[in-house]
Amino acid sequence: MTQQPADIPDVVYALVAAPGFARHGICFAARPAGLFRSDDGGRTWRDLYTGLNFERPVTTAALAVSPAFENDGCLFAGVPGGVLRSSDGGQTWHAAGLGTPPPFVSVLAVSPDFANDGTLFAGTLEDGVFRSADGGSHWAAWNFGLLDLNVLCMVVSPDFARDETLFVGVESGLYRSTTGGRAWREPAADRHGPQPADFAPVLSLAISPHYATDGTLWAGSEAHGLFCSRDRGKSWARLGEGSIHGAVNSIVVASDYPTNPHLLVSLGDRLLVSRDDGLSWQEWPLGVNPEGSIIALAASLGLTPGAPLSFVRSIVTSPLSGTSP
Amino acid sequence: MPRKFRPGVVFQPATYRGMQGGIDKLAKAIRPTLGPRPRVVAMDKVEYYESMPRLLDDGATIARLIRRLPDRDEDVGAMYLRDVLWRLQNEVGDGTATAAVLFQSVYNQGVHYLTSGGNARRLHTFLERGLRAVLDELTTMTVQLDGREQLAAVAETVCYDPPLAELLGEVFEVVGEFGRVEIRAGRSRQLEREYVEGMYWERGVLSRDMIADWEHVRTELEEPAILISDLEIKDPRQLLPPIAMAIEARYRSLLIMVGDMSESAIGLLLANKHPEKLRVVAVRTPGYGKEQQAWVLQDLAVLTGGRAFAQVAGDTFSRMRPEDFGHARRGWADLNTFGIVGGKGNPRQLRQHIITLRNAYEQTDDPHTRDLLRQRIGKLLGGSATLWVGGNTELEINARKERAERAAAALRGAMLHGVLPGGGVALLNCRPVLQRMLAEASDPDERAAYRILMRALAEPLRTIVSNAGFDASDVMAQLKLAGPGYGFDVRREQVVDMLKAGIYDAAVVQKSVVYTAVASAAQALTVDVLVHRSEPERASMPDPLTPKRL
Repeated sequence: MTQQPADIPDVVYALVAAPGFARHGICFAARPAGLFRSDDGGRTWRDLYTGLNFERPVTTAALAVSPAFENDGCLFAGVPGGVLRSSDGGQTWHAAGLGTPPPFVSVLAVSPDFANDGTLFAGTLEDGVFRSADGGSHWAAWNFGLLDLNVLCMVVSPDFARDETLFVGVESGLYRSTTGGRAWREPAADRHGPQPADFAPVLSLAISPHYATDGTLWAGSEAHGLFCSRDRGKSWARLGEGSIHGAVNSIVVASDYPTNPHLLVSLGDRLLVSRDDGLSWQEWPLGVNPEGSIIALAASLGLTPGAPLSFVRSIVTSPLSGTSP
Repeated sequence: MPRKFRPGVVFQPATYRGMQGGIDKLAKAIRPTLGPRPRVVAMDKVEYYESMPRLLDDGATIARLIRRLPDRDEDVGAMYLRDVLWRLQNEVGDGTATAAVLFQSVYNQGVHYLTSGGNARRLHTFLERGLRAVLDELTTMTVQLDGREQLAAVAETVCYDPPLAELLGEVFEVVGEFGRVEIRAGRSRQLEREYVEGMYWERGVLSRDMIADWEHVRTELEEPAILISDLEIKDPRQLLPPIAMAIEARYRSLLIMVGDMSESAIGLLLANKHPEKLRVVAVRTPGYGKEQQAWVLQDLAVLTGGRAFAQVAGDTFSRMRPEDFGHARRGWADLNTFGIVGGKGNPRQLRQHIITLRNAYEQTDDPHTRDLLRQRIGKLLGGSATLWVGGNTELEINARKERAERAAAALRGAMLHGVLPGGGVALLNCRPVLQRMLAEASDPDERAAYRILMRALAEPLRTIVSNAGFDASDVMAQLKLAGPGYGFDVRREQVVDMLKAGIYDAAVVQKSVVYTAVASAAQALTVDVLVHRSEPERASMPDPLTPKRL
């Protein structure tokens, strides 16, 4: 079954381009109507749940793809009460429950070393973080020290195999685990400057590809703009104070950061890009007027000026794509 | 033949001679246990049923078991030191051997100086002045722990058991400095640990008939409404308003917490013919005494977002409102405990509540209050760990469990207050501060005090090295060449940078050790006269030997 996005009049909760997108154009979209796959860079989409014969559409709010997708074809979808996993790019599925009462999976994140450690995490809206160490077959709640169980976003350190670090943004702030998700602490220890609890809820997070050495991450808040920490979350500074207002729904960092210090954020129906590590911001031309907020964003081909294709997706029913300014 | 005690008054120089003899005997009995390669002290049968001597390598236990010396003058000195060591043990759970060595050195040097004409009161004053400088210097040297390896290294300095230390490092990295850790005797040779999500209290269901799952002897509640109180329910009708309200709100399960409940009220709950519509489970309010119960009510109210109904405030259920219920994602109860997972209180209020409790913890000096506050914080942080300590024999398991408890206490202190270079190096590194003070001092008593302290601060390191079978003077010469921060790793048998080598001491323990030993020795030096009564009271047990709750 092949569907055009226009046939699916609903929201896109999550959008992920598979590793190697530039070659094969495979990407996935999680929606209230289910999970959709495109093999042509987002031009056409097909429902990946058709073989499961669900009686009604299964809301899929979270989505994650293995870093070794081209080899293992592993794909994970967060559905009410559990996680679906596929090891063939979405053709067949296995379900794993997260216990009762059924949690609502709001975010999924895969270890960068997934091929070796089989570790992935599920953030939920009322039950905190679940962790699987066997590729998504079995899950256990790991919430030591996590005082707020309403997880809105999550990032895993690129050096997870060594530092076992991940962050979650929650309604009341930000928590960090340096124990592979087993225990959580508020990272802020420096009382100078804003603290995550001051700008919560934290809606979006992004982490530097060189986090192990630069300790940099970004947090987007619902009402207070964008913040950056360069010391692993201990202290924070506001970015784009004059231009970034309102909810920061998603943040994209250039894959070659800090060589190219490019950042892209979605603010309601606008996209802003910075080429100088957040000092100045300019509008990203969308080409069309989106109907509503942009909440899912992917830029798998980078943010370099003049890149042939950057891939952006919003809740509107028509595809959005454009060339970076 | 029973020994005859005669009353008497003892003056100098017999006072110093007698006390010094007792202090030396006790300190020398403890001294061999200091360091990672301790010697063992064999103690003759302690209890009448014991058939062989006890083999001890723990200074606190040795001090506890020496209850009287035959010479009455010596007994005063020994019991004074014993009391000092036990106060220290109760306060920080470790460091008694270091304290004994320090105390002995300060006292003996002090006596030597005073008998040659020094002034005891002035010496006391200057020893305390030097002590303050040493404590400040230790604060400057303190570094914070980071990561499992460092935690394990601290644990190992206390328990000298690498597998146990490694496991303790992992457990405390997970549960944190306030986390709940139960240490139990294992049922096998292995070390095992289990993590439990959520929080639980040691109060079970009020009736066995409330257990729904007899296979697991447990009742699980999904999305329970929680009634938080310490009220005593005598009349079943008292329960009708909350039950009616829960039914009206279509709650599927209700956890009732009360101070007590009459048989007839329990009967009302058990008469529920439609548990599929509303399952009700009742438990007793946790806590011993009204004050502890009030704390539990307060914590549960914050955690679940409910209102606490307190007997002392004259509360009743008759005027309760639907929003007075607390809520959680899950609740459970068995015959002895009940627990809550995913309390739905306001996370910001919960965070603030924990900050308030932490501040109270930092401010209080009362060990019992600190212990209770730590337990409360640990519960609110949402998890606990149980560590089963195994071994080949019951004796070995108990000894290992006791070491695990001491190591756990030291780890908590280290996580809260940081660490210092271990192996006696931190104390040694305080000597330059005293050297500067000595250079500026002209008063003979003051100069003597700083000299005494400088020499005493080297004594723990010298003892550790000697106990391991090395020449202390030779090692001290090597350390002088190596510079500050370097110490002797007796296991690798080489001079190393102690922090880089992961050899730490908990800062809070070291500071308490120095403070307690030096201040007490300075005080003991001011004792001039001993008065013996006709029948001395038997030295009391400083503390019951009940296992510590961590």
